Parts: sequence; structure tokens; C-alpha cells
Amino acid sequence: MVNGINRDSPVTGRHPQGGVILVPLDGSEQAAGALPVAQGLAALTGATVHIVHVSPQAVPIQEIREKLHLATSNLAGAVLDQRTGAAAPAITGEAQRWHSNLIVMCSHGKTDVRQGAFSDIAEQILLHTPCPIVFVPRGRGQRPWSLRKLLAPHDGTPTSAIPIGPVSDLCHHTRAEMTILHISTAAAGPAEDRGGLTAPRYMDQPQHEWPAWGVEFLDRVRAMAKPPCDLKLRTVLCTEEVGQAIVRFAAEQDIDLIVMAWRRHLEPHRALTIRTVVEQAPCPVAIHPVTGEEDR
Amino acid sequence: MSGSRAKSLLHLPTQDGAAVKPAARFFAIDPPLVIDPGWTLIEEGFELAREHEIESIFTVANGYAGTRGSLAERNALSRPATFLAGVFEAGEESPAALELVRLPDWTHLRILIEGAALALDNGTILEHRRIFDLQHGALFRVWRHEDPAGRVTTVTFARAVSLHDRHLFFQSVTITPENYTGSVSVESSPDPPGTKTQWTPQAEGDTAVLVGATTRGVTIAMAHRGDIARAEAGAAGEQTSTIQGQGFLRRWTWPAGLGETVRFNRSVVVYSSRETPDPASAARRHLNRVFDAGPDAHVRQHAQAWEDRWRAAGLRVAGDDQAQRALRFAVYHLNGAVNPHDERTSIGARALTGKVYKGHVFWDTEIYLLPFYICTDPPAARTLLMYRVHTLPAARERARKLGYQGALYAWESADTGEDVTPASVVAPDGRIVQVLTGIQEHHISADIAYAVWQYWRATGDESFFLSAGIDILVETARFWATRGRLETDGRYHIRTVIGPDEYHETVDDNAFTNVMAQWNLERAADATEWVHANRPDSWQDVAERLRIAPDEPAAWRRLAGVMVTGFDPRTNLFEQFAGYFGLEDLDLDAYRARTVPIDVILGRDRTQKSKVVKQADVIALSALLWDLFPRTVHDANFRYYEPRTAHGSSLSPAFHALVAARLGDRDTALRYFHEAASIDLSTHTGSAAGGVHIAALGGLWQAAVFGMGGVRLREDGIVLDPHLPQSWTEFSFSLQWRGRTIAVDLTHEPAQVAVTLRAGDPMTIALDGGKPAELDARHSYVAHRDGAGWSDWQTKRR
Repeated sequence: MVNGINRDSPVTGRHPQGGVILVPLDGSEQAAGALPVAQGLAALTGATVHIVHVSPQAVPIQEIREKLHLATSNLAGAVLDQRTGAAAPAITGEAQRWHSNLIVMCSHGKTDVRQGAFSDIAEQILLHTPCPIVFVPRGRGQRPWSLRKLLAPHDGTPTSAIPIGPVSDLCHHTRAEMTILHISTAAAGPAEDRGGLTAPRYMDQPQHEWPAWGVEFLDRVRAMAKPPCDLKLRTVLCTEEVGQAIVRFAAEQDIDLIVMAWRRHLEPHRALTIRTVVEQAPCPVAIHPVTGEEDR
Repeated sequence: MSGSRAKSLLHLPTQDGAAVKPAARFFAIDPPLVIDPGWTLIEEGFELAREHEIESIFTVANGYAGTRGSLAERNALSRPATFLAGVFEAGEESPAALELVRLPDWTHLRILIEGAALALDNGTILEHRRIFDLQHGALFRVWRHEDPAGRVTTVTFARAVSLHDRHLFFQSVTITPENYTGSVSVESSPDPPGTKTQWTPQAEGDTAVLVGATTRGVTIAMAHRGDIARAEAGAAGEQTSTIQGQGFLRRWTWPAGLGETVRFNRSVVVYSSRETPDPASAARRHLNRVFDAGPDAHVRQHAQAWEDRWRAAGLRVAGDDQAQRALRFAVYHLNGAVNPHDERTSIGARALTGKVYKGHVFWDTEIYLLPFYICTDPPAARTLLMYRVHTLPAARERARKLGYQGALYAWESADTGEDVTPASVVAPDGRIVQVLTGIQEHHISADIAYAVWQYWRATGDESFFLSAGIDILVETARFWATRGRLETDGRYHIRTVIGPDEYHETVDDNAFTNVMAQWNLERAADATEWVHANRPDSWQDVAERLRIAPDEPAAWRRLAGVMVTGFDPRTNLFEQFAGYFGLEDLDLDAYRARTVPIDVILGRDRTQKSKVVKQADVIALSALLWDLFPRTVHDANFRYYEPRTAHGSSLSPAFHALVAARLGDRDTALRYFHEAASIDLSTHTGSAAGGVHIAALGGLWQAAVFGMGGVRLREDGIVLDPHLPQSWTEFSFSLQWRGRTIAVDLTHEPAQVAVTLRAGDPMTIALDGGKPAELDARHSYVAHRDGAGWSDWQTKRR
């Protein structure tokens, strides 16, 4: 446990077996889209799905089931919980109570009218979460979910490499393909963290420099993230705007899960990339909160 | 210990005595080496991700071989390598892609405490420091470690490859159990690197020899001998030896006493069949001689050899510690890159410090490196040029195959001089990009001719010039005389080339290429006419050897006279190539923050349609041919091209510093100087991971001496026009010119030049625009800045 973040979660954890995946549902169709993803992750990792519903007053459990439109298949192996009170603190409280490895949810629920990447509730959950959160796209529906291709955007710093190690276990386990996407825009400066590596400033002879840079970049990812030795990684370099590059790549490559580090800033004009990706990505996005230096 | 607390290599305070104190007993010699903190680079702590760049930066090298500064016990990321200069083998990816051979890792060892290997990632690092002693060419390391059982062990490491005896490498390790007693072992296992060279172990008494056979038919022998030195007599412990696959393993085990320091020494000797028909016997005999001479002798001789090199090549900068350290770092690696005794070897783009570029040799050697050697180590400069003499047949063949006469040197060459430039590369976005430099970047032939001429002019080495150098001048001139075409406009055009600005491919009349070709043609004519007129005894031999037709020199002059150079006397500008001025002008300031090269941001197509320049191209002409054009021309071109240059090559900042300094733009010069200095030493780019940028380091030396110091070498002496940056309160260096050694001491305030002839006959020295003086060894010569110019020399008896 580092800074309240359980790094042993199914998506971001070293020990894929066991644990709890929390799925907050409010009865809306878009919130329900989280369930197949949570079930897919639980199946991969042996975790138990805890469906949690928060309402103003307690209601009988069968009523909750009906309200959430849960079929028997939805409940197979899952636990159905209810909490009363305000949604965000109730959900983060549940995550703490169960030492949840993960919350899987939609960024917008039944009552949310706010536009943008996150509803008010989702934003509050994100700000206070004790574990990583997987946001599923609005309108993904009830399609089953499986992991074949994972995308990890990486700015070359040790901080942004933090989620790569844990998810690499998952890729190794499922033999999913893992792509490390490095995006270097015209405005991107050198890595400030020591040990960081960005796209090369000097490219004397591309026929020698590009292959060498690719090897070095992945070597550093391995040093920082320590994925399983035999996991195959590949690097792709993009230079367009970061959020758009991730969304485009995920769409073009039919990515199943994007995993990103988030430095716990959500003030206006911060986390612009996270906002763009959560809002526009065609697949679930795992946000792994990190606090930088202390997490190393 | 957190690596994040590690200090920057360039910003270390110079008086950090505590950091180097333990170095006193790294080698078991008495009196111990005195390590000056100002001559060290120190990596404090441990940051796994940076390991490859640390390994490159801390390479110990002597021009015969270079050993990366990898941890002796290795870790998950270690990339140990010892490169043997001039010996190539089939590449890992493709047999045709030749790469520098790598020797077994002679530094490899494991330390076992009660049977468990001591490792950085198992237990707690209490102290970890690597100290690179530039003055003595040695790498030291202090490691204090607590293992999971609470046992605290202090280990020190020292290694060097001898500059005195280039075949000899040596290592010394001490192990001290601080709070325990128990079984301690050292395992020495120099295992082969797993490349195409096949290795066979042979053991004979205390010496083990690994014999390798390369894919190019070269045999290499590496003889090893190690021993343990304990203060407690009669308790030497036990020793075992095993052959393991293509390597061997030797283990020494002893019952360690509380606080008892035990030393492990290892010496290694390497020979190849390029030097002797029986490398294994030669290596064994040589190793025995090293042991017979006693344990101290080779360490002292090595340290002395480095001190001698520093006397010849050292520079002192007062007022700018970063510049001082960067220049010492540069000079260290420049000295470690060259072997003055092997004229079939040149210097690859990463010297002997990393595998990137595979040891391939480019124009970098002649343009960016050679001036350092000409001025500080002329025999080394000669051997580098002899590499081009020995590879002249391949250059002739290359020209012939392409339908030209004379000699066209390969863009990338290895042992024979044949072109080894890869044909394509997979870019990181997955695109396959065709590589055209091997096909179109022909200015290298003129660059090599330029280097020959500079060497001859600065050294007066007539035997080289008459027996070999003139061959290069003539054959490259012949190439240029056929490479272009006299067209209907009456001008000589050279089409379909790439200049130093490799962003623009397949261009016509690149100014750098054409002006250098023009220069090449004229100097070849000068050279032949000079030999004919002044060395009639040699002329017949030269003329016959090179089959010089009587009218050839005149024909070269005629072509040079009508060469298109792109120069416009109305603007004083060279057009970089035909049509350049019509391209899109981009504001590079909008892209200043980027780390990625501009052609990646803009895309190849848009870059080619823009005026963005990869590296000094026309500005490189100013750096190389300063005396050929008036200052106004240099100024106009610098002001035009500098804002349009994106510095996508590591070669670029240093030449910009040089030219800016000559133009008196000290702030710009210093900015570019520090940019060049940070290429390998910045902690934020990782660009040294594949090896140090040896040409950028050579460029840094030129920026300091030719730029800030304002030195210009001429055949009648040396001209000085110093422009010290504000922060450089003093700048001193030594130079060699035609058998003389001179010391130059510059001060900024008051602006003063002091010159002393240390050795050799009197010679002429002048300040730019001032009266020349005849320098003799009995006097020192001083001049002061006097308004815009310099005072006359004042002499003082020494």
C-alpha cells in the first residue's frame, strides 16, 4: 500500500488472484456497461465483483436487483451491496472497507447532467479513491469484454511507468499484446525525473539511432516497471496532441484497455489528457493515481 | 538509497573531498593514487534506469579496447561490453551488418556471502558511489551493503585498461565484512557475449585463456589471471576452477574475519591475429611478464601515461566549472578513443563506449576529431589518416562501380572501407524508411582530403604526405572531377547529393559539398605542383604511382573555377542548395521546447519543403574554411542559417559555438558550448546510453580552442583571435605545431594573451590583424586587447 493506493489490484496489482472489484450501479444503462468489464477482469484475476448501489434510503435487496436490471447471469459469483447517503463518499468508503483492488464504473450515471469527462460524482470518487478506477465508455452496452490488446501511454518518466508493471502481469497472464505509446509533442520538454527518457533530441543517423532508442526506451520501461521477463512489449512514437493520439491509436488498433498514471490533480486546466481519453476513448480506461516521487 | 538523490555529473562541486576519500586504496599501490575531486565524475546512489548511460560515460578505454562501466556483478539492465578496436564480426541482426567485436566480460565477478550473491537489489544499499577518475583513466566504486540477514559488507572496485601497455586490462576489488565472520567467495567468470564470434577456453596453471574466432577470420586471445591477497598468512582459502561452455569460472573462498579486508586482483591481456600470428602464446607470455614485474608497476605506468597525455592535451578553464569538467570529460574520451600504434583502425561514432553505430566510421573522424589529435597527438592523427590510406582501394572500387574515377569513400565504413551503411530503417511509428546517405552523401571524400591537408600543414609530416597523403588528395580530386558535370551554362554542377543537412535529400549543388569539392580540386592541384616544383626526387615516384597526367592539375583548377557554389556577392549568402531560398520559412522558436527532432514533428515531406536545417551545413564551411572568406561572409551566413538550424544532430551545437565565438558573439557561443557539453552528461536525455558522442566531444574541444581560444593553424605558424566568454576568467591550453609545443594562457579581464614556446625551434605567432612575432623558448610573449584590436607583442625573458 503506497499513499493509500493498493498496488496489488487485479488491473494494477502484482497478485492477480483474489480481491474485490467494486462496481457502482445506479440503474442507468450507461452505468451498467461497467459490469461486463468488471466481470471480465474478475474472471482473469479471480477477484470477486461487488456491485454497490447507493440510495437515499435503504430498500429491500430484491428491489435493488430490479432497479439495476440485474439478470441472474449478472449476479453469478457477485455480491450485491447497498449503501445510503451521498454516492461518492459511500462508494469510496466501500472501496476502503473492502480494500478494493479496483473500481469499475461509468463516468456518468443516471442523474448526471454535467458534460465533460467526469460527472460530479465520478470526479469526487476519482479525487478520493483508494484504488485505481476503470472508466468504461458511455454507451458501451452489455457486450462481453476480454483483454487482447492493452495500451499504456508512457511519457518516459518513472512516475508514468508505475501502472505498467502491474498490468504487465495481466498481459502476461492473458497473453495480451501490450503497446507502450510514447508521445512527444512539439511542446514536450525533456523528462524532469531522473531516469526518464523521452524521444531523442539528436538523431545523427536515423538508421542507427531509431533502433537504439527503441531498445533503450523499452529497457528503461523494464527497469522502472519490472514486467515479467518474457513479456513482449512494443513501442510506438507519436507526435500529435497527447490525448488525441491515445484516442486515435486505441480506435485504430482496437485496444481493449488503456492504462494511465494520474498525478492526482483535477483542477481546471489540469489532467487534460486524462479528460480527453476518458471522454473519447472507445474502450475502458484504467486510471492509476500516483503521487510521483514517493511512489517510486 | 534513492537514486533520485543522485547528483548531476556536471554540477558536482569541485571540492567534494569526502566523496573521493576512499579512493586512496582502490589500487594496492604505495603511495596511493591521489584523486583530485575536480578531475572526477561521480555518480552517487543508484538509478537502475540510467544504467546504460552511466556505463557509456564511465568507459575505460585506451584506443586498443574500451570497457563499459558496467557493474562487475551485473544487474537486470547491465549491458557490459569490451570492444576491440578495428576488429569486426558479422552482426547480430544480419551477417552483412558488420559490427565491432565484443570480448568476454573480463570484469565480471560475483561476491558470495555464505553462498548468497551480493546484489544491489537484495537487501539495503547503505552507500553506493561510482567515481570516474579522468586524470588517471580509472573507474572506482564504493559499495556498502546490508544483506537480508543484516550482514554489512563494504566492497571497493577499481578497473582500468592500461594506456601505457594497451594490451593489459586490470581490476582490483576489496571485500570487508563489517559486522560478521563467515565464508566469503569471489567468482570470476569472464563469459563471452553471445555474439557470432566463437570462444574456446584453455586453462594452463594459474592462467586461463579464452580464444575467439571471429566471422572475419581474426583470432583473439584473452589471457586471465587472478589472485587473492589476505593479510593473514596461511589462510588463503580454497580455489576451484571450472570450464563452463565457452567461458570458465574460478572461485576463491576463504573464512572471512570480522573487519578483515581481502583483496582480489585480476589482470587480463588481449592480443589478436592482427598483431601476432599466435595471439594465445603472446597473451600468456605478456601476462607472465606483468606478474613478474610486480603488482604495482602496471598501475603506476598507466597513471603516468595518463598524466603525460594530460600535459600534452589538458585545458584549464577558470570561472566556469561546468565547462572545465565537460572539457576534461571530452579530452579523456578523445584520448581513450585512439591507438597511435594501429594505423588500420579509426574511430567509430561512439568510439569504444557503446554498441550503437556498430563501430562504423563516418566523416566525423576527419572533421570533428582529427583537429584535436593534430594539435595534441600528431602520431595519433597520422594513424587515423593511415586508416583512410589503407581503405583507399575500397574507395577507388566504390567510385569505379558508380561510374566515377578516383576514390569515393564509404559513408559508413568498418575494417575494409567498403560501404556498410544500412539500406533502410524501421522508424518508431512503424514506417520503413529508405536510407539515402550511403548513396548520396559524398562530401566525405572531400572531408578526408581536407583532413590530410590540415595534418600536413600543421605537422609538416612530409614522409606521410609524399608516400600516402597525396594519394588521397589526388584520388578524391579525380572523383570530384567526374562526379559533377560541366553544363550548358558553363558551370560545374554536382547534382543528387545530400549535404551535412540530411533533412534535404537528393538536392543539387549543395554549397558545403561543392565548396569542399572545389577546395579539394584546388588543393590537389597545389599539392602536385608543389611536389613537382619542390621535391623533384619524389615527383617521379608520385607521378608514376598515381599516373598523374601532365594536364590533370590544370583541369582540376578549371573545374574548380567554374564550380557552382551558390554564393551571392550581393547578399554575401551561400544558398545551401539549388532552390533552398524558395522553400517555406518556419519559425523554429515555436518548437524550441521539443525534445524530438523537428523532422519527426513536421514529417519528412514538410521538412524537406522547408528551410529547416538539420545541422551546421553552410555554417560548417565557416568553421572549416574561415580564412577563405571575409568575416562579413561568415557573419551574414551565420545570422541567416543559425535561426533556421534545428540541431537535430549532435554535431551541430559545437560548430555553432565555434563560429559564434570567432564572430565575437560570446553569449551565443557559450550557449551552444554548454548545449554541446550536455549531450552526454545531461541527466535528463539518456542520449549516452548507446555510447558517448565522440564527435560532439571533438567538436567541443574545437569550440573551446578554435572558437573561444581563436586558434587558426597555418603553414607559416599559428594565428590567435581569442573571444573568451564573460564567465571564463582564464583559459589555458597547449598545442603542437610542426614539432613545437606552445602553451597559450588567456585571461578575460584584462583581455590578455600570453604564449610560451615549451619545446622546439622558433616559430611565428600572430594575433588576428596584428604583427607576427618570432616565438622563441627564451621569452614569453604577451599582448593585450587594445580597443577593437590587439597590442603588439611584448616579450619578457623567461
